[in-house]
Amino acid sequence: MDMNMGANMNNQTVIRTQDINLWYGTTHALTDITMEIQKNKVTALIGPSGCGKSTLIRVFDRMNDIINGCRIEGKVFFNGKNIYDPDIDVIEIRKKIGMIFQKPNPFPMSVYDNVAYGPRIHNVTKRAHLEEIVKKSLKLSALWNEVEDRLGQSALGLSGGQQQRLCIARALAVEPEVILMDEPTSALDPIATAKIEDLITDLKKQYTVVIVTHNMQQAARISDYTGFMYLGKLIEFGKTVQVFERPEQELTENYITGRFG
Amino acid sequence: MRGSRHKSAERIIEKLLLASATIAVIIVFFIILYLFRDAYPAFKEVGLVKILTGMKWNPVGEPPSYGAYPLVVGTVLVTLGAMAFSIPLGIGSAIFISEIAPSRLKPGFKFLTELLSGIPSVVYGFFGLVVMTTWLRITFNQPTGESWLAGSILLGIMALPTIISVSEDAISSVPTDYKEASLAVGATKWQTIRNVVVPSALSGITAAIILGIGRAIGETMAVMMVTGNAAVLPEPITNVFSPIRTITGTLGIEMGEVAVGSSHYHALFALAVILFVIVLLVNSSALGVLMKLNEKFNPTEKKSRGWIPRAAASLLRRAFWGAIVVVILYFAYCRSGVRGSLEAGLVLAFFSVFVIILAHHPFPRHEQTAFFAAISGSAVVVLILLGVILYYIVSKGIPAISWEFLTQPPRDLGRGGGIFPAIVGTLYLIGGAMLIAVPPGVGAGIYLSEYAREGKITRLIRAGIDNLNGTPSIVFGLFGFAFLVLYLNFGISLLAGMITLGVMVLPTIVRTTEEAVKSVPQSLREASLAVGATKWQTIRNVVVPPAAPGVITGIILSVGRAAGETAPIMFTATVFSQRFLPHSPLDPVMALPYHLFVLTTSIPNSIQNAYGTALVLLVVVLLIYAAAAMIRFRYRRTVRW
Repeated sequence: MDMNMGANMNNQTVIRTQDINLWYGTTHALTDITMEIQKNKVTALIGPSGCGKSTLIRVFDRMNDIINGCRIEGKVFFNGKNIYDPDIDVIEIRKKIGMIFQKPNPFPMSVYDNVAYGPRIHNVTKRAHLEEIVKKSLKLSALWNEVEDRLGQSALGLSGGQQQRLCIARALAVEPEVILMDEPTSALDPIATAKIEDLITDLKKQYTVVIVTHNMQQAARISDYTGFMYLGKLIEFGKTVQVFERPEQELTENYITGRFG
Repeated sequence: MRGSRHKSAERIIEKLLLASATIAVIIVFFIILYLFRDAYPAFKEVGLVKILTGMKWNPVGEPPSYGAYPLVVGTVLVTLGAMAFSIPLGIGSAIFISEIAPSRLKPGFKFLTELLSGIPSVVYGFFGLVVMTTWLRITFNQPTGESWLAGSILLGIMALPTIISVSEDAISSVPTDYKEASLAVGATKWQTIRNVVVPSALSGITAAIILGIGRAIGETMAVMMVTGNAAVLPEPITNVFSPIRTITGTLGIEMGEVAVGSSHYHALFALAVILFVIVLLVNSSALGVLMKLNEKFNPTEKKSRGWIPRAAASLLRRAFWGAIVVVILYFAYCRSGVRGSLEAGLVLAFFSVFVIILAHHPFPRHEQTAFFAAISGSAVVVLILLGVILYYIVSKGIPAISWEFLTQPPRDLGRGGGIFPAIVGTLYLIGGAMLIAVPPGVGAGIYLSEYAREGKITRLIRAGIDNLNGTPSIVFGLFGFAFLVLYLNFGISLLAGMITLGVMVLPTIVRTTEEAVKSVPQSLREASLAVGATKWQTIRNVVVPPAAPGVITGIILSVGRAAGETAPIMFTATVFSQRFLPHSPLDPVMALPYHLFVLTTSIPNSIQNAYGTALVLLVVVLLIYAAAAMIRFRYRRTVRW
């Protein structure tokens, strides 16, 4: 496996995985994944359906904990600490590493309550402070202008794209360092997709983004690093330009040139 | 550190929920054990085989004989009859409400169905005895109307609301996408219902039928009041006008009179065990079907260690429907007076054509019209049934109602005076039952859905609770009598009644809570966990609010059930001569359902006060329902999907 070690010199590693193996029951879903996620960059994970990219991204904030029969080996270092150590507080990890899901999943509450959900959970009770957080998060997720007048209305009345940006705002409201996105645009139309892509490019100024995508063009457009996965293995990982233009593995080349998928 | 504080709080909550689940489970297994303990001497003395195959049930004869075969057959026949009538009506009405009725009418129709389930079984029995059996006797020119048919009709009506509401929930929750996908390829609405909606909702509909069967098998009061209770086999076996006696009826009639500790006493417990096992078999096989169906619709699940291979299951299904058709044909043949083989052949040919049309669907449009007519018709029949029952109870009950009737104790064995002690007694009983059952029930439901690891133990717990859920209320009555009244020496008392009723509704509360909580989409939990909420924060803020209406519905149904039940309290809490309010929980009480039962069956010339009591009982139960429905409505408005 090729690791573009050169890139690490002038960048800061936020997440580093070491020999991750994961099983669902008896199915071996991830095999020996070792990779690094760089701060303030967008890292894309691509690969055909079922290759394990969504599973891998859920490893980063321990969302696989809630799946019965899921067993994981190996280490994931976040800011130097292994998040799978027994003494780690998974709540703190998920606060610092946010997640956006494939299908927008707003709570059946008002727009405001959706964004305020995280801060309230983390004991922000002052009204003024909450309002400030909500406003800031909605602005960051480029939704503020569209929902300014309907903060009290149900989030389920928003369009799909708006709902997804609301979910991003909800994630941003707890001030994470890393945002994981699991095919965030797969349920959206091209215009909504373009908005989210713009948003991602903006977000990386303040955050580190890891995105799983089905769409190779999307990976090429917005990411700085790309990992190509196949059958639970990380086949190739490096700078996006390099992975797309001069892939080192034949499998990668075949995939990005559309010979299988 | 914040994390550790979180963790200890989380752990305490998890422990509390685990404790609730444990209490629920212990109660379940304790009841089962206790029943077997008291039944054991009978099995030892008489022998299981002799009890099951003996043709004569005569416990007071010399020597006594404990042959339960006619009782078992009676139970099966009454239940089959009830299902033959309520399954088509119930599923038809459910499809009508969710798919065909104009959306303006839906809430009204659902409300009326709930009304039907709010009518206590003793009121059904009362109606059956004073109105229906008379009607049957005159219409069909029989010596008596107290018969298998009367029992089946009454049980069918009683099972309807369960079947309708549970199937309706299942059908309504089929995603619109499925329907649109089907309509988009040019399917008619009926084809969509038949091929997409009903199959998707099949597990729910099956559950509805199981619950309906459970209700029918376990019903005591109504059956006891209208079936004539002769422990004989119908002659011939298809003679629906024959009187019949069920297991529950036997328990209801004889338990009150039996000498404690006698061989008759143990024989009755043996009957209760047999009843329990029948319910267990029905439930387990039905649960098996349910699991198969779940697998069919969630084919991603790897483990398909089914107990019936799929091909065999399909064969069995065909055989089952085939058997039903044959039985109907045979029955029609016997009844119709058609005797020549030519006529029989014609009838057979007619049915064959009908079946072939059903199987091959050559006329989709006409088929749609016909089925929609049948479906709407079933809904209309249900409404008429409700209307007739309410008309009788209300129109004849109102003249009995007066201020004195509501506020005075009874006089002259209930022929005069009022029913005040019974009203208060009923309120005490249900209040106490809910205090006992709701906290552990809801806690256990949440625990099972959110915390319990899916595994053998969880499955065993769920199966135990499910089986207790289908367990006839009279069995709880027996348990309460043997354990609370006799063993713990509470005597016939308010407390014993509260506990018996509480234990009876506990499994319902556990399972409805679990189902409601489980139905909250996983994506919402993930969204909450992903912003760093703890498990309990997620449950409290994201999972419980949308599940609350479902949980409350479960509790409402339980309250209604507890208020109207007679069988669990007639040996544990109520004394007919109780003219005053209880001074302590250890005093006996009077309760509305039991008062009505005694007036109807044992006190001649008390019909006016019986109608009055029925009306008051009905109103009390419906007020509870109305209050709870309002709470649910408010929840629905604040939590809008």
